[in-house]
Amino acid sequence: MISVVVVSHSPALAQAAVDLALQMVPGEKPAIAIAAGAGEGLIGTDATAVSAAIDEVASPDGVLVIMDLGSAVMSAEMALDFRSSDAEVRLSSAPFVEGLLAAIVTAAGGASLDEVDREARGALSPKISLLGPAAPAIVVAPPVTAGLSAEVTVINPDGLHARPAATLVSTLAGFDAKLTVANQRTASAPVAANSLIGLLSLGAKAGDVLTVAASGAQAAEALAKVTELVTDGFGEV
Amino acid sequence: MAGVTVTLDQLVAWLARFAELMAENRSYLTELDSAIGDADHGSNMARGMTAVMAKCGATPSTAVDELFKQVGMTLVTSVGGASGPLYGTFFLRFGSAAGPVAELDAAALAASLRAGLGGIVARGKAELGDKTMFDAMSPAVDAFDTEIAAGADLAAATAGSAAAAVAGRDATEPLVARKGRASYLGDRSAGHLDPGATSTAFLFQALAEAVA
Repeated sequence: MISVVVVSHSPALAQAAVDLALQMVPGEKPAIAIAAGAGEGLIGTDATAVSAAIDEVASPDGVLVIMDLGSAVMSAEMALDFRSSDAEVRLSSAPFVEGLLAAIVTAAGGASLDEVDREARGALSPKISLLGPAAPAIVVAPPVTAGLSAEVTVINPDGLHARPAATLVSTLAGFDAKLTVANQRTASAPVAANSLIGLLSLGAKAGDVLTVAASGAQAAEALAKVTELVTDGFGEV
Repeated sequence: MAGVTVTLDQLVAWLARFAELMAENRSYLTELDSAIGDADHGSNMARGMTAVMAKCGATPSTAVDELFKQVGMTLVTSVGGASGPLYGTFFLRFGSAAGPVAELDAAALAASLRAGLGGIVARGKAELGDKTMFDAMSPAVDAFDTEIAAGADLAAATAGSAAAAVAGRDATEPLVARKGRASYLGDRSAGHLDPGATSTAFLFQALAEAVA
């Protein structure tokens, strides 16, 4: 599992953002280290604290660094010169709160550094599709060919919101299968079912019918599990 | 009196004078930064340079690279804002280029300043006209080279570079910021001196005074 380093000007902001993200992770969590503040209660960042945080949680699977703004980015870049571990470290351009949440949820599902970084960087797209002009289609999944498919209806009153979507992502982590999900009401392009951001960008409401497609060795089992989860309202209805 | 080399003592005097200027101008720099930034440049730099001088006093260095490594790392850990990694990188690169020596001649000082400037570029990715410290530092380092090439001694060359830094600082006033926190303000950042360029002008003023 990759680990996550959180760099912020403020220890309180970093801790709160981590707490918010961890609400979404019921099971095993990635190692998370915070490097925040400039010491003595000062707002700021410290490159040596960032390098120490990277070394503290360095994982052979990689380390993703999520930063707030300004000197946080510069201190993180400088930390790469100071660290002593040789794990692969990626500085993510992800937005701080949304990106951290996406990163932690995706990392907990066992995704690779590339996948977690991609999810984190795309983490604003649900908000953009709600509030702004059309978001770039960054979460569209490659089509699943020659696989199985099923149609399931969302019954949760709040739709496929963050918590059930995170449940879906973490459940699928255990299967050797590739799944995509599309929303028939919006005629959306299919998104990867292990993408929290992708699932949220479907904007699936109660009553929407989802097309779930699956391929891979455990396609049938995974599809059955997803059908069960959705039909059951993800245990929250 | 200026000699043909800058000694370790003069380099420490440079840092001490810069620390003094940061303490004296703490409110001024913070005022500049409150116009277009997050109002912490003066206090960050004053705190950082106070920490630097405490470190230099506690563990004196015997070589230029050792001195500036200590300076750079202290700034990185004590400044807090973006000027920490920026000035930190300047001094770290300055020291690496200078090497384990006890004094710098004009060519070595030129190479060290140039390496420090390169560090600022690598860290901040700024270009001329972005309204950053680079706008003061780049002409200062160029002016030093030009003066030396024209046969000036160290005192004249550092004075020339200090004047170029001031001119570069003043030229940031009408600019619209394209880097750093000030860039969020867009057009509203015009009409103010850049705080980083202002502290950089003090850095070169301090060097000129220490070498004179």
